[in-house]
Amino acid sequence: MAIVEFKKVSRVYKNGEHEQRALDHVDLSLEEGKFIVVLGPSGAGKSTLLNMLGGLDSPTEGTIVVDGKDISTLTENELADYRAETVGFVFQSYNLIPTLTVIENVALVKEIAKNPLSSHDMLREVGLSDHIHQFPSELSGGEQQRVSIARALAKNPRILLCDEPTGALDSETGVMVLKLLLSMARDMHKTIIIVTHNQNIAKMADVVIRVKNGRIQSCEEQAAPLSVEEVDW
Amino acid sequence: MLLKKLFRTLWHYKAQFISMVLMIAMGVGVFLGFNIEWYSLEKNLTEIYEATHFADYRIYAEQAFSEKDLQAVLAIEGVEDATRYLSVITSVKDSEDTLALTVVENPKVSGMLIISGEEYDPESPDGIWLSDSYAAANGISVGSGLTMTYKTITVTGTVKGLVKSSEYLICLPDETQMMPDYSSHGYAFISPKMLDAAIPAAYRLIVGNSLYMQLNVKSSLEKADFVEKTDHALGRTLLVLSRDETISWSEAQGEVDEGKTMGSILPVLFLAIAILTMVTTMHRITASEKTQIGTLKALGFRDKRILRHYTSYALIIGILGSILGIAIGYGLGWFILNPDSAMATYLDMLSWTLYAPAFCWIVIILINVFLTLIGFLSVRKMLKGTAADALRPYTPKRMKHMALEETKRFKALGFGTKWNLRDLLRHKSRSWMTLFGIVGCMVLLVGGMGMKDTLDSFMDVFFDRAYNYTTKINLDTESVTNEEALKIADTYAGDWVAQRSVQIGDRGVILEVYEITHDKVRFADRDMNVIPLGDDGVYISERIAKANSLAAGDSLTLSPYGTDEQYTVRVAAVCKCLTESIMMTRAYADRTGIPYTISAVFTDETDIAANTHILNTQNKQAIMDSFITFIDLMNKMIWLLVIAAVALGIVVLYNLGVMSYTERYREMATLKVVGFKNSKIGRLLISQNLWLTVLGILIGLPAGVGVLQYLLTALASEYEMRLTLGPGTYLVSVLLTFGVSLIVGLMVARKNRTIDMVAALKTEE
Repeated sequence: MAIVEFKKVSRVYKNGEHEQRALDHVDLSLEEGKFIVVLGPSGAGKSTLLNMLGGLDSPTEGTIVVDGKDISTLTENELADYRAETVGFVFQSYNLIPTLTVIENVALVKEIAKNPLSSHDMLREVGLSDHIHQFPSELSGGEQQRVSIARALAKNPRILLCDEPTGALDSETGVMVLKLLLSMARDMHKTIIIVTHNQNIAKMADVVIRVKNGRIQSCEEQAAPLSVEEVDW
Repeated sequence: MLLKKLFRTLWHYKAQFISMVLMIAMGVGVFLGFNIEWYSLEKNLTEIYEATHFADYRIYAEQAFSEKDLQAVLAIEGVEDATRYLSVITSVKDSEDTLALTVVENPKVSGMLIISGEEYDPESPDGIWLSDSYAAANGISVGSGLTMTYKTITVTGTVKGLVKSSEYLICLPDETQMMPDYSSHGYAFISPKMLDAAIPAAYRLIVGNSLYMQLNVKSSLEKADFVEKTDHALGRTLLVLSRDETISWSEAQGEVDEGKTMGSILPVLFLAIAILTMVTTMHRITASEKTQIGTLKALGFRDKRILRHYTSYALIIGILGSILGIAIGYGLGWFILNPDSAMATYLDMLSWTLYAPAFCWIVIILINVFLTLIGFLSVRKMLKGTAADALRPYTPKRMKHMALEETKRFKALGFGTKWNLRDLLRHKSRSWMTLFGIVGCMVLLVGGMGMKDTLDSFMDVFFDRAYNYTTKINLDTESVTNEEALKIADTYAGDWVAQRSVQIGDRGVILEVYEITHDKVRFADRDMNVIPLGDDGVYISERIAKANSLAAGDSLTLSPYGTDEQYTVRVAAVCKCLTESIMMTRAYADRTGIPYTISAVFTDETDIAANTHILNTQNKQAIMDSFITFIDLMNKMIWLLVIAAVALGIVVLYNLGVMSYTERYREMATLKVVGFKNSKIGRLLISQNLWLTVLGILIGLPAGVGVLQYLLTALASEYEMRLTLGPGTYLVSVLLTFGVSLIVGLMVARKNRTIDMVAALKTEE
């Protein structure tokens, strides 16, 4: 069953007289529980696609239906609720709150999520039980990204959206983070959508979407995705 | 090209830029304005004292001074110049007005300055040089005729010139009046020759050849030395008053001192807040420009050029703020002090030119140098190291663990509280500045409004409760006897007072003997409680107690002016008084044998029949009105401070609020992405502001009371006031500070609606 449906979605940015079509009549249907990778060069529109899906931005045309609900017409407060309950975000630059400790960064979702998971459990899952009282600035990049994954998952969202989650990490750490994402997706039955430049990551995906010039070039299911270990990094 | 960048960057930071310019402008403006007030008053006073040769000493005698007496005084070493002087109150023909007829033999002492008309001619047989303010109030011009009468002497002449004289700077017909009224009283100079011709032969037989009861002297001798030397030179003990004991000097200096006191603390605090906030803002702006600074460095611009470019921001802000501030300062100065103000009725000065003290200009220059230096140092810090170092964005200090975090209570706090608490500690200078701004706003409000409460309570105690009469009948002490005065008191069912000047050491004060049988006058003790006068001793004013280190139970020796007699009395209590007075009952005066002549009767009657012994009558309201005029100036300053405090509070808090918002922009974007609603983020932002506000109020309230106490102590030489703070002041200052903080908080919090989550989170840390 499709958890995400894009119907003729366009996003046009206007800058004075100049018009930029970041997404151009995109139709897309994604199934629940899949590990999906969106590939494309810079400026192709992949981040815009992710932002639309995450409720950070709204389409200028078309509808986006997530879990049976049209999110393209939601008010700002409804969008906030949507972000709080349905989607979790992982960014390239982690975006942790520097003045909160690791455990506090994860626990802050309790303020907004309806069915949050235990922050301690989540941090144990990402292997950071020993660092819970440290501040983000005291952690390595990989560790910070794991905190950000724990925070995203602690909301217990249906969909996890990751924008270049390994972009700022060395390859070894990147692999570790990907492994973690994949295992959690499988174990917790989450739909994971990763936006990346990295062709290798696509080899692990159930579905690979290629985007160019704001359009979907292809959307292919991979019958036998490789495991993290099998990919040649 | 860099110039273009300069203007565009200013435009980019317009909110901070405008608020910094406004902060400097307000700080400089209030500081300059308050100092312009007292300094202009002092300069303009000096101008008239010098231009009309205000005398340093006045020697009074029961019998007129001869030419020989004058020469004897002139021969004293240390005496620069002297003149025989006459000043008598005359009635103006065909009107109820009075004029102080003045004759000065040597106008180089206690002379006049011609405002219009002819030069003064000491030989003129019929020339009158009239007070220009009296002339203006009565439509008299040069060429008009005027006849004045004093006892049997009648002087008729023509107004030759209109003048001003510092001897009549505060021109009052007698001690019972507090406020000059040029429509009914003024002064006029005539030549010695004209006076001589006007004295009738019969009168001359009684008083002798001279009418000059006064010698006015210019001398830099100390009073004690001067008195000793004149007593010796003239061979008798005389009443000598230094200029400090003359209304036209002491009251005017009192106004200057009052201005100095008001300008000494609150405006300085005001300026300090403005500068400190500006410094913090400047540093933050430079920090947020770090990448651009790095880019310029990487492009090959020399450090010197980059430093010059970025330092010029601080300089531009400083200069613009100062220019605006100087304009505000002069505006405030003019608002407090101008020829149409109540002060101008009180002091008949030559001009009301505004002057700024030199130290103000130095302070303004130093502020600009300081701000530029801060700009310079901030940029230099960002330029440190290689171009690559400079290119890295500015990162605030790393978070450190606090001992507090280990406590159970801290762990139990909500995320928002922890977030705000750590943010406060992470951005200490911003937090301190915000707190300082709120404390400052609170101090200014409590200080300003508390001063108003204190003044109001002072007025309430004296004029509503202690002065329980409707009419004060002033008697002519030269003609009235105590028997006649008692008859008048009986007729109007009044209480009476006998006032005379006495000396304690060489300090002149007023002795008041009261007979209170109708409860028309009461007295205020040190706690401003209304008390009756007892027969167990004298009641002295706080100022006398302080000057002579006296307390209840001590004894005090006083001597009536111009006599050698001395009386020792017991101090029964120290009181709050309007004037520097020693008060006693008639019973105590009789017991100690101090002579007195009844000078005024207090009654509730308003219909007072004409009587040769009655000088005039005053209703309580008129006395009160003239006192209100005195405190009008202080009131104006208070309101200016209160308005300025609120304005400064808004600008400082808004500026710091925007700074906090900018610094937490990314964190707020994160919260938004995670799913926090705008309203919740707004509440988080405001709550930090409100904590600081509560803390600021808790500190500011006692600090404000302390500042007020300091001001009252400094003003103690002029007013014996007791610090009074009404519940309204507490409430209004707390609510106003809270309101300002809340409004500014809401203004800043509203901005989070416009956070661009996508753009904010894409930016690299």
